[in-house]
Amino acid sequence: MMAAVGAPEVISQLESAAKVLMAPPSMVSTEQRQHAEHIFLSFRKSKSPFAICKHILETSKVDYVLFQAATAIMEAVVREWILLEKASIESLRTFLLTYVLQRPNLQKYVREQMLLAVAVIVKRGSLDKSINCKGIFHEVSQLISSGNPTVQTLACSILTALLSEFSSSSKTSNIGLSMEFHGSCKRIFQEEDLRQIFMLTMDVLQEFSRRVNLNAQMSSVFQRYLALANQVLSWNFLPPNLGRHYIAMFESTQNVMLKPTETWREALLDTRVMDLFFTVHRKIREDSDMAQDSLQCLAQLASMHGPIFPDESAQVSYLAHLVEGLLSMINGIEIEDSEAVGISNIISNLITTFPRSTLTALPSELFTSFINCLTLLTCSFGRSAALEEVLDKDDMVYMEAYDRLLESWLTLVQDDEHFPRGCFVQPAVQVFNSYIQCHLAAPDGTRNLTANGVASHEEDEISELQEDDRELFSDQLASIGMLGRIAANHCIPLLTSLLEERVTRLHGQLQRTQQHLLASPHAGSVDRKVLDDLYEDIHWLILVTGYLLADDAQGETPLIPPEVMEYSINHATEVDINSTLQVLGSPGEKASSIPGCNRTDSVIRLLSAVLRTSEVESRATRASLTGLLSPQMGKDIVWFLRRWAKTYLLVDEKLYGQISMALSTAFGADTEGAKWIVGYLLEKVINNLSVWSSEPELANDTVELLVTLVEKRERANIVVQCENWWNLAKQFASRSPPLHLLSSSVQRTLMKALVLGGFAHMDSDTKQQYWSEVLHPLQQRFLSLINQENFAQISQEEGVKREIVATLEALCGIAEATQIDNVASLFSFLMDFLSSCIGLMEVYRNTPETINLIIEVFVEVAHKQICYLGESKSMKLYEACLTLLQVYSKNNLGRKRSDVAAEEDQYQDLLLIMELLTNLLSKEFIDFSDTGGSDEVFRGQEQGTAASGRSVSAADVVLFGVNIVLPLMSQDLLKFPSLCNQYYKLITFICEIFPEKIPQLPEELFKSLMFSLELGMTAMSSEVSQLCLEALSPLAEQCAKTQEKDTPLFIATRHFLKLVFDMLVLQKHNTEMTVAAGEALYTLVCLHQTEYSELVESLLSTQRDAVIYQRLADAFNKLTASSTPPSMDRKQKLAFLKSLEEFVANVGGLLCVK
Amino acid sequence: MSNRTLSTTGTLKRPSSLYGCRSKIGRACAFLDLFFLQVPLTHRTMADPDLDFSTAESGASATFPLQCSSLRKNGFVVLKGRPCKIVEMSTSKTGKHGHAKVNLVGIDIFTNKKYEDMCPSTHNMDVPNVKRVELLLVNITEKYMSLMADNGDVREDLRIPDGDLGKEIEAKFKEGDELLVSVLSAMGEECAVAVKSTPGK
Repeated sequence: MMAAVGAPEVISQLESAAKVLMAPPSMVSTEQRQHAEHIFLSFRKSKSPFAICKHILETSKVDYVLFQAATAIMEAVVREWILLEKASIESLRTFLLTYVLQRPNLQKYVREQMLLAVAVIVKRGSLDKSINCKGIFHEVSQLISSGNPTVQTLACSILTALLSEFSSSSKTSNIGLSMEFHGSCKRIFQEEDLRQIFMLTMDVLQEFSRRVNLNAQMSSVFQRYLALANQVLSWNFLPPNLGRHYIAMFESTQNVMLKPTETWREALLDTRVMDLFFTVHRKIREDSDMAQDSLQCLAQLASMHGPIFPDESAQVSYLAHLVEGLLSMINGIEIEDSEAVGISNIISNLITTFPRSTLTALPSELFTSFINCLTLLTCSFGRSAALEEVLDKDDMVYMEAYDRLLESWLTLVQDDEHFPRGCFVQPAVQVFNSYIQCHLAAPDGTRNLTANGVASHEEDEISELQEDDRELFSDQLASIGMLGRIAANHCIPLLTSLLEERVTRLHGQLQRTQQHLLASPHAGSVDRKVLDDLYEDIHWLILVTGYLLADDAQGETPLIPPEVMEYSINHATEVDINSTLQVLGSPGEKASSIPGCNRTDSVIRLLSAVLRTSEVESRATRASLTGLLSPQMGKDIVWFLRRWAKTYLLVDEKLYGQISMALSTAFGADTEGAKWIVGYLLEKVINNLSVWSSEPELANDTVELLVTLVEKRERANIVVQCENWWNLAKQFASRSPPLHLLSSSVQRTLMKALVLGGFAHMDSDTKQQYWSEVLHPLQQRFLSLINQENFAQISQEEGVKREIVATLEALCGIAEATQIDNVASLFSFLMDFLSSCIGLMEVYRNTPETINLIIEVFVEVAHKQICYLGESKSMKLYEACLTLLQVYSKNNLGRKRSDVAAEEDQYQDLLLIMELLTNLLSKEFIDFSDTGGSDEVFRGQEQGTAASGRSVSAADVVLFGVNIVLPLMSQDLLKFPSLCNQYYKLITFICEIFPEKIPQLPEELFKSLMFSLELGMTAMSSEVSQLCLEALSPLAEQCAKTQEKDTPLFIATRHFLKLVFDMLVLQKHNTEMTVAAGEALYTLVCLHQTEYSELVESLLSTQRDAVIYQRLADAFNKLTASSTPPSMDRKQKLAFLKSLEEFVANVGGLLCVK
Repeated sequence: MSNRTLSTTGTLKRPSSLYGCRSKIGRACAFLDLFFLQVPLTHRTMADPDLDFSTAESGASATFPLQCSSLRKNGFVVLKGRPCKIVEMSTSKTGKHGHAKVNLVGIDIFTNKKYEDMCPSTHNMDVPNVKRVELLLVNITEKYMSLMADNGDVREDLRIPDGDLGKEIEAKFKEGDELLVSVLSAMGEECAVAVKSTPGK
């Protein structure tokens, strides 16, 4: 179209179209705008537009038209590359460059687009041996040497454009070439041209660093080149032979570490390079923007590793030079705020990247100075971070830097055995001291003090969503705890004395306040400042103590840290065990008042300091001073005790090479000490639960401590010997105050703990008595209530409703206590209730909150128990669940509610029902039941027709459930991520386990199931997509088995073949998905061989390039060669999957176009 | 057993002899059987139509106090003098060492209006006695429903609710469906809040 009209017409047409596009929205109609857009689109598609574009560029004054002309050139060059004369490409590139050079006042976006076109031409040419695009570097270096800042800036823009065009597939322009092409270009570029850019950049920086005075313009050029250098050093070097999928994965990594190829040796191992960056930084460090770049360059250099180092000695001398440079840079300057993060990055990269052997090979003086410098820097950043907190700054740069350095310390001291013995002790003492100092109030510490020593004290509103310090600062605390272990000799006694002293003060302060209140009860509010300061001190001391003494154990049995054990053993000779036990056993007395208190084991003494804190708290609650206490401190105490108990209580000597006498005497199995402390902890728990019911988090931490005490049989055995435990059980069973005031989740966990305790070792009489006091009251109360003649009439009374809710909550708690050795008795106990619960579903059919809770009971029972149940018990549970669902369905069919909570209620019900169904299905995957040979029978029943007998199969329950759920699942509801995941998990399970049931589904249900699968494959998260792919194979196999053509399922699978084919062959996708997609594809191919061949044919027919055509055709042949004709044989399927991997690696890149 | 009992949405009259046929041992089972036979047990005390509906329970007060921390989401509470369903419940504190306060968001169960309140978690709050009954719709006269309890007592003092629910009730009633209307009452107010319809015949 364009060729038919003359140039002036084209220009005027484009210019008026540009005017329309640039006009304010009110001035033009949508049609006009679309028309204008269309003009540009078709202009860009016109064949060989080079002459007209040049003409436009030379004559038009409209920036937007110039921009479009540059775009048109770029697109056409790539499109018509093979047809163009190499010389004309070359001249086109020269034209564009000259054009930009001659017009310094060009709009920025036009210039960038021109340079992008140049970069694209260079890139396309780099794979084409017949054309030489290297000339560009020569031209750029000439521009640089011109000395003219404007020209130098332009040169920098050209290099930047090249760099980002080559750097990664995500930044690259969409020029319709394969990912394989982009990858090869990048590899070639990083070997040669990138280095050349780096050298050019270094020249410029060298030049500038010599200048004494830089004017504003010069300094802006300088900044650009510095940023360019940073970009080069942050280059993500692509290793050779990386497949398409890996390229995508590789390039998405953040925080690239510098790993250049061997060819870079000369360029980067030259010490002058590093020196230059140190010099540059010194020069510009006061400019915060530039300093960030120069420090980042140094941090990249500090992360350098890989084949660039010819041998270890080269690495050592590189590191030595780096450390020397760093030390001389830091020493003698006052660090700017903007430098903190950068400097900590250099150190952290260096410590992470270089092997320990390289660090220890440094000259020892240099190593010592480095460690000393790191120590000072850490302490100083820590103090500055504390100041930032006081000032409540938005940008916490020192906190970030401090975190980074503490992390580096952790890395260092974890490998402590590689370094000279004891070399970290003094640094650890210093860093530890400064941390403690920053967290304690004056006069011992500096907490909440501003730089000039003024205290600031603010009370913010803190929501429950805000993390507790123990999680928020867990990384810091873990590092400080580790350093504390390294310097245990210093740190453990320090913590003990600080804590003991504060506990004494807290005790005194509370007593004074109490007297004050007694003297003048109406004197108004108490000044909490002194108390709050003490609480905050104790808070941090307990957190640090917790992290020092024990690790956070997840799953496995945590061990006493070796440093702590060693410390206790080393001091054994100075310790008097009896006085130690005396101090431990009398938390109500001041430690220093006990005879022999200076001869105690320090580890036990530190624990007893926390127990003293706990005792002061408990006594205050008994004196009705609860209102003055800090729930936060209460949480800290039980948190600590729980962490401590997991590690130290009933310490198992078999797990340790050597054990401290003091620790084993105080806390070992069968010791008086262990018994005493269990009793003490139990008393603490009971006290907390009675006085702190209004503090949900504290109550929760407390009840978790209780669970810790009973979840291990050995501990539980001691617990059940305590009278207090029985009292707690009775009190809870009687549902009287204060325990019934606890929140429902705490009551649930309490129930769980009480049940767990019941499985401790007791003689049979005792055991019977225990159950009759814990579980039986629950059953009796419930049965006598629901069996009342008038139950239905009184069911809506508040007292009745609460009794029912409490029972249901307790049932959930009981289910949570399920373990393999108690499941038998718990199941039969719960089963009786489940039947009654279905009755409740009827009575409370119009009380949604109760219905929801009833379903939850079923969910919990299925979740915790189904995997242990044998065949007849599973059957019972299936039956109960089926009845539950039937009742639910019947009661909700045709019901309409007017309140706004209706949707939310329904959402919650649906989520629970799906969870229930998934839990029931999980039996198919996880089964610990001991059915042995009878398994066969169970399966037979499942697959047989369920209607025939009275028995119910999982399939019936689940399909019935799906019948309820599917019609209610709208696309809106799928927007709830939890609901969406649960839903797809469920339907995938169904397809996998009961494929034979799918074709029998009612038409509507079948359709929505298939639609759900397609939606999940194409429009949801990759997790959901994978689930759907996994559902396809069993469906296709099912079709193959029945051999019926033209069934709805057969037709549906044909449609899925195309979807999976496109997904696997044509689209970028996650590598994890390849296996799932491959399996699905294979079974679908088996089923629809003809359609598959057609798909391949039509794909091949779109390839115009003969070479590519051949490569593709060969690849497709090879793909199915090992499995011809394809059959559902496992061996063939595996062969196919293997070929598929090869296929994707070989030609995947050709088809996936960007 | 379950199939037979669940397939029918039974009529409202049931032989009362069922209540008496329980042995002590079989109590739990008998309880179950009752429900499978679909006895609507929920509204047998609505015998006296002269009593004010909301205070029909002898001596039951309109509200009772409960410690704030033991309230639960989806439960009820009185906010600004109105009976509300709790749709959001969270805690907060003033300062790190402060005591917990409970923040409540509730929806008025009659007007659907939203209310918020905050209260120290040790304090008590009023919880309304909320009651729901299902009554059979037997007639509609000028926007008033005639509702029959299962003992045959009929009340005619409740209006058809506004909005979609009201339209649904009228439409389904015209079609001849059997309609069970859920009536919610609390603090002296009452209102039809839900309907369950079963196609007639």
